[in-house]
Amino acid sequence: MASHSTDTLALMELAIQQAKDALQFLEVPVGCVIVQDGKAIASGRNRTSETRNATRHAEMEAIDILLEQWQRDGLSELEIAEKFSQCSLYVTCEPCIMCAAALSILGIKEVYYGCANDKFGGCGSILSLHLQSSSEQPHGGAKGFTCTGGVMASEAVSLLRSFYEQGNPNAPKPHRPLARQATD
Amino acid sequence: MEETVVMNEETGEAWRIVNIPGKPPIPTDQQPTVNVYASMIEPNLANTLIRRLNQIAPLENLRHVKRIRKKAVEGGKSQLSAILCLACEDENQWNCVPENVQELVNSYQLSPFITQVCKYAASSKEEWEGQCKLWPTSYHPPTYNINGVMGFSEEDSQSVFSFMKFAIELAKSSEERLVNAAVIVDPSNRQIIASACDQINSWLPPESNASMSNGCIEQAESLCSHPKSSQVATNVFPLSNGSSDKFRKLYTNVSCLNPWRSSEQRPRTSSCYWHPLRHAAIVAIEVSAAMDRHLFPALGHIGDECYDVEDMQSSFITSPAKRPKTNLTNVEKEDKQVLHTKDSCSISERPYLCTGYDIFLVWEPCTMCAMALVHQRIRRIFYAFPNPKAGALGSVHRLQGEKSLNHHYAVFRVLLPYELPTKGETLAEIADKDKRANALQFH
Ligand SMILES: [Zn+2]
Ligand SMILES: [Zn+2]
Repeated sequence: MASHSTDTLALMELAIQQAKDALQFLEVPVGCVIVQDGKAIASGRNRTSETRNATRHAEMEAIDILLEQWQRDGLSELEIAEKFSQCSLYVTCEPCIMCAAALSILGIKEVYYGCANDKFGGCGSILSLHLQSSSEQPHGGAKGFTCTGGVMASEAVSLLRSFYEQGNPNAPKPHRPLARQATD
Repeated sequence: MEETVVMNEETGEAWRIVNIPGKPPIPTDQQPTVNVYASMIEPNLANTLIRRLNQIAPLENLRHVKRIRKKAVEGGKSQLSAILCLACEDENQWNCVPENVQELVNSYQLSPFITQVCKYAASSKEEWEGQCKLWPTSYHPPTYNINGVMGFSEEDSQSVFSFMKFAIELAKSSEERLVNAAVIVDPSNRQIIASACDQINSWLPPESNASMSNGCIEQAESLCSHPKSSQVATNVFPLSNGSSDKFRKLYTNVSCLNPWRSSEQRPRTSSCYWHPLRHAAIVAIEVSAAMDRHLFPALGHIGDECYDVEDMQSSFITSPAKRPKTNLTNVEKEDKQVLHTKDSCSISERPYLCTGYDIFLVWEPCTMCAMALVHQRIRRIFYAFPNPKAGALGSVHRLQGEKSLNHHYAVFRVLLPYELPTKGETLAEIADKDKRANALQFH
């Protein structure tokens, strides 16, 4: 495993704390922080269960906090865009395709993630939305960002594992023979 | 059926529903082919020869290939050719042709030549049209069942068209600016579950994260056009400040096409914030989730194993006792009743996320929105206009064909008999032009 700076590890530790928080609330344990100038300025954790909205991933939670905060502070859209371009995201699991697309719309500077997301990942696993060229249309839509995976991946995975070991109380009960399992 | 056409008898307008498959059509020149022997035949011998050929040299693995090709030639006549048999791997080896075919060739004085036919049956109408240029094939559009989705009856088609019209009306309702609109529908009873327009300029943040659920419900009630509530409630857009160049600005506000441009010249209001990710589909999902919490408050946490749960498990952890995967996508009524008797709560009446629901969007959703609809387990997506810049259902990406995802919806484009509102140019083209024109002005 590549060595990461102590700063990087400290920030990912904050994201892990968020994931642990999610676990306590019986949510899939994924957490994140958004960082500007080395300081965590927003955090988020998965809230899909509580909201019954499967799009309420940790990243979306943290983004909403910043958008609200910055507008309360009176920042214009252009200033907010500028801010996002100076921010880094630390998230325990590779952003899914939805979140990676959102980060690319916002124009975030960089992403550090823990474990890869082989089924949904939008930063290399399934799609590579972080690699979009940013040359055309400065604010036209999607932009690329730098992406570093494998930061404290084993911690992220072990949280997910404990989620399954305690059982997911939210899962619908099986109601059919598991005939399709072979195809899953 | 791949394509459903319904004519309006009064106006003669044709609406069409076209499936957007998970895989793009294979260009004709890239389709695998096989060599066959064919020969021109006299039209009056066609029946006899074909009957005989089908007996002695049936085209076992080429059932999609037509035995006879009819070509129009000069003078209004047509020329017939028939496939005799497969050619050998090794070209020009006439001696591998079955003896009885050789006899037939001799007795009717045929002059065999080698030609190519497509090896596999076409999987779409486009592919089929390409195949026929080589040698005619037959095409049987699947009477299909994509994740339990049946083809469209006349009645279903009419329902699709009327919900699409509803979505278009919503999209036009935001003063002079056209935005995207999303309508989530339960097709089993044709009820609207949620509807929303882009809300890039009209975000009402929940008061705090702690009281999030309350905030969302209030918001949902004010935004949602539940079957019993007024449709007008969806129009919460602040008025734009009277653009002089109405036409030029018309399409730049469609978030999935143009997330940043849509926010330009945002009117400042005290209660509404700006949020570049509040695209119509995202808002509609939020509204439907809020409605769910509102209607089934007692269920607490039940119902979300959605997102990454089981998939993360299989991705990251090789668990000896994999949790049984459940798939509510294909739940039938009987199953629901079984569930109902087993579990005492009313979960049976409540769909899991948006399982079984359809969504109608005016524009093809962007990648973020398309993936959000995977997460929320939408069954079918209908859209009217493609999104060549950012569309994720065929234009730029094709999420319905991403095998690794845990859920796959079926995607359909609804072709309108008219364009909105100009002729000759598609909206996307206009939006694209407009965007380029405006990109310069933005800074
Ligand atoms: Zn995500
Ligand atoms: Zn979108």
